[in-house]
Amino acid sequence: MMTFNRRDALRLGLASLALPGLSGLAFAGTGAEPPLLLVLLHLRGGCDGLNLVSPATDPDFVAARASDLRVGEDGFALANGAAPGIEFRLHAAAPALAELYAARQLAVVHAAGLTAGNRSHFVAIDMMDRGIADTAALLRTETGWLARCGRAQAGGAVANVSAAATPGGEFHGLASALALPDLSGGAMPAGGPQAALVLANLYGAGTGAVADAGREALAALTIIDRKLTRDGAGKVVAYAPEGKANYAAAGELARPLQVLAQLVKMEVGLTTATLDLGGWDTHENQPGRLRGQVAKLSAGLGALWEDLSRWQGRMAVVVTSEFGRRLRSNKSNGTDHGRGGIALVLGGTVQGGRMAGGWPGLATDQLDEHVDLAVVNDYRQIMTEVLTAADGRAPAASVFPGFTPRAPLGLFRG
Amino acid sequence: MVTPIDPTVMVSALSRAGYGPRPGEAAEIAVRGFGAWVEQQLYPKDDPEVETRLTALRLRIKYGAAPDGAWAAVDEARPLDLLDRPMEALWPLADGKTKMNGAERHRPRDEVVAATLVRAVHSRWQLREVLAGFWHDHFNVDFFQSDTLATTLPVYDRAVIRPHCLGNFRKMLEAVATSTAMLLYLSNRSSRAGAANENYGRELFELHTLGRDAYLNDRYDRWRDVPGAKDGKPQGYIDQDVYEAARAFTGWTIEDGAGVDGKRRLPETGRFTYVESWHDGYQKRVLATEFAPFAAPQADGRQVLDLVAAHPATARHLSAKLVHRLVGEQPDKLVAAATAEWRKSADAPDQIARVVRLILLSPDFMAAKGRRLRRPLALAAAFARATGIDLAPSEGLVNAIAACGQRLFGWPTPTGLPDEDAAFLGTQAMRGRWALLLGLAENWWGTGLPAAPAALRGTPPTPHTAVAVWLEALGMADRPDVAMAVLTGLGWPPDQVLGLPAAPDTERKLARIAALCAMAPAFQGA
Repeated sequence: MMTFNRRDALRLGLASLALPGLSGLAFAGTGAEPPLLLVLLHLRGGCDGLNLVSPATDPDFVAARASDLRVGEDGFALANGAAPGIEFRLHAAAPALAELYAARQLAVVHAAGLTAGNRSHFVAIDMMDRGIADTAALLRTETGWLARCGRAQAGGAVANVSAAATPGGEFHGLASALALPDLSGGAMPAGGPQAALVLANLYGAGTGAVADAGREALAALTIIDRKLTRDGAGKVVAYAPEGKANYAAAGELARPLQVLAQLVKMEVGLTTATLDLGGWDTHENQPGRLRGQVAKLSAGLGALWEDLSRWQGRMAVVVTSEFGRRLRSNKSNGTDHGRGGIALVLGGTVQGGRMAGGWPGLATDQLDEHVDLAVVNDYRQIMTEVLTAADGRAPAASVFPGFTPRAPLGLFRG
Repeated sequence: MVTPIDPTVMVSALSRAGYGPRPGEAAEIAVRGFGAWVEQQLYPKDDPEVETRLTALRLRIKYGAAPDGAWAAVDEARPLDLLDRPMEALWPLADGKTKMNGAERHRPRDEVVAATLVRAVHSRWQLREVLAGFWHDHFNVDFFQSDTLATTLPVYDRAVIRPHCLGNFRKMLEAVATSTAMLLYLSNRSSRAGAANENYGRELFELHTLGRDAYLNDRYDRWRDVPGAKDGKPQGYIDQDVYEAARAFTGWTIEDGAGVDGKRRLPETGRFTYVESWHDGYQKRVLATEFAPFAAPQADGRQVLDLVAAHPATARHLSAKLVHRLVGEQPDKLVAAATAEWRKSADAPDQIARVVRLILLSPDFMAAKGRRLRRPLALAAAFARATGIDLAPSEGLVNAIAACGQRLFGWPTPTGLPDEDAAFLGTQAMRGRWALLLGLAENWWGTGLPAAPAALRGTPPTPHTAVAVWLEALGMADRPDVAMAVLTGLGWPPDQVLGLPAAPDTERKLARIAALCAMAPAFQGA
């Protein structure tokens, strides 16, 4: 099989964009093992890690929180917890995650996040997107860390995708990053076949930066579009997941996850994908709202794992959130913005079935500013280990400027 | 006798010194003389058409009721009644004392965004709009960073950037330094004697004035080693200048209710104020100039502004940046001439206008056809102007422009929206541009429909005539290759009538052809 990338599409020129000549070409790697597909799922709003995975028997925790903001007896006790003598329990609405944890494919990192915290959603997300941990660096770091990590160059025709309306902030500054919120109507630019033909004509020839950029964009979109299955009338056939995979319970996460699964199966050289799930900013009425979001997260990741069972050894999924929430609840039966959050790492080569990293404790003098779970596991340490596993080498210093890797969390085997 | 100028060259000129011509405007200015147009534009007067439009405009606001009943659901088309409000009337929107939906708190920002779109498309003072955009980029503030910042945009746009955008740089610099927006964004409002906040000081040197080329980092604190320093004329700045300047601005803050000396509290108006007891009054040295201790209120900060505004590196940095914005490249001779004009006019009330005149009337400016990419707002505005869309802004359009890489008034870092074409040529941005044009033409966001030129209204139009007429309106009359690409892609017989003139179906087809023509690479630049 031949290797096919976006540059080749350019060489094929005008005719191939307008004619169905591309459909027979597939990305098949370069002979070397393809890099691990990296999937980043961000829980927008600040997920209450203490309610997703509770230190259920920690007396400080029990004393600080009402029972409906803790995981109770109905939750899943996690083996190999983060601290001896404390039982950590996964939320009862997450049976699929419990199963993946028991199967040692899922690891949990608690007390994770930004070392120099910020309680603004916007600023915290922006810092994590840019791979930094202080606001001063924010003002001088223009690009996202995924744009700097070199994976863009390693991939195929469609290497970097956000299954969302706009490319994720981690891609900021990366020209080839693509946002595909939905594939049910195809992937071509707006305007239907007529606009596609005109665009192919307008950009098929010509020189200069704009013509080149347009050709590249059309090539990438065309490659994806031609891989979609269509019925006799040319309509895109609804995606059918494999095996017992069922995204029905994943709510608003279902569509982006299926876009991701489709792209993986297209073998177009996808190396990095981002997506997100909102609804975690539980200032009010947390118990019901959190249960709903946890159920979607768990069902969604479970379905993806089943659907992509043939790719499990070649992918890693990292779930993060911009911060955790306050240890003590507010008067609206919710929790306000806190510090230490939670991260999940799922993958066929993940050293799972354990909680990795340190646990700072919840006694008053152990809390950040006496109110929040402290951050002892820098998100950049997690990402450094993920990138190292994915690419077979440590990321360059410029990916997380100013960060010195600490003692490994040991998230991956070997 | 004025030498006639190629109409497509004139379209390019008007697309860089403005947001592109309306139909017929390029030919008219080519006859009247570009110099005369520039002269008029440099000294803008009133703009009754825009005023009337802004008064008549209704911008939708919609949100649900608060779960605790603190506010009721709202869904209405509301006038832009916050644009002219003073700071103290806007500040309470974000002080958290009154419960209200977020849409109300950032409404001041949304109104300025809408007004900016109206002005870009409809203002007769096109050059002012381009310069206002230039200075907003230069003195960037991210009004999406917080609701508090969102309340400061009307005053920042109305009283800080616009009055000075063709005026005197030193005056604009102080207006920015004392603006609520910048004091919040670069955190000088919390800067106090003892541990001054260097955020503003650093960007003042690096971005606002001398520029990073003048940062002599290797001389960290050895100010005497800076060339020229011993004669009081240092060629660049060092970290020590930043630290000392930060000390000079301590006490420059805003009335945000903060406690002062444990005795009194500042009022809560959001307006600029100077708190003497927060100011570090001891002697300082900035750019090899000694500051006497305990100067008059604000005198230290003003002296820093005097020094950086007058510095030759500032003249060069700003002149080069203006040349780049308007011409697309930086010919040495033009930059040198602009720099000389900048310095010569340092005290003139129309300093910036004089420099802009020099750039616009240079041969380099006219010769630069096609070298600048239209950034997303410019693309939308130019298309609307060329196709006669009577544009009414909407959130959908704002989001479509953002999808191409330009979130209006929402660039996160102080460097401002990039002026490099490559920043807007990513896969997603290109796809966004095509959608932006088609969406405008087909009125996806309720912004109004194109008005086909007279030439397409008399006799029944064909694809052939439609493409020719639109390409002329879009400044591509000299591109038969584009005409051919569109005509063959359309798939409609080129000489078959599209329909009855002015019939809705004909108008729809004409609008679509306009968008498809504008998708050409040639229209992406100017």
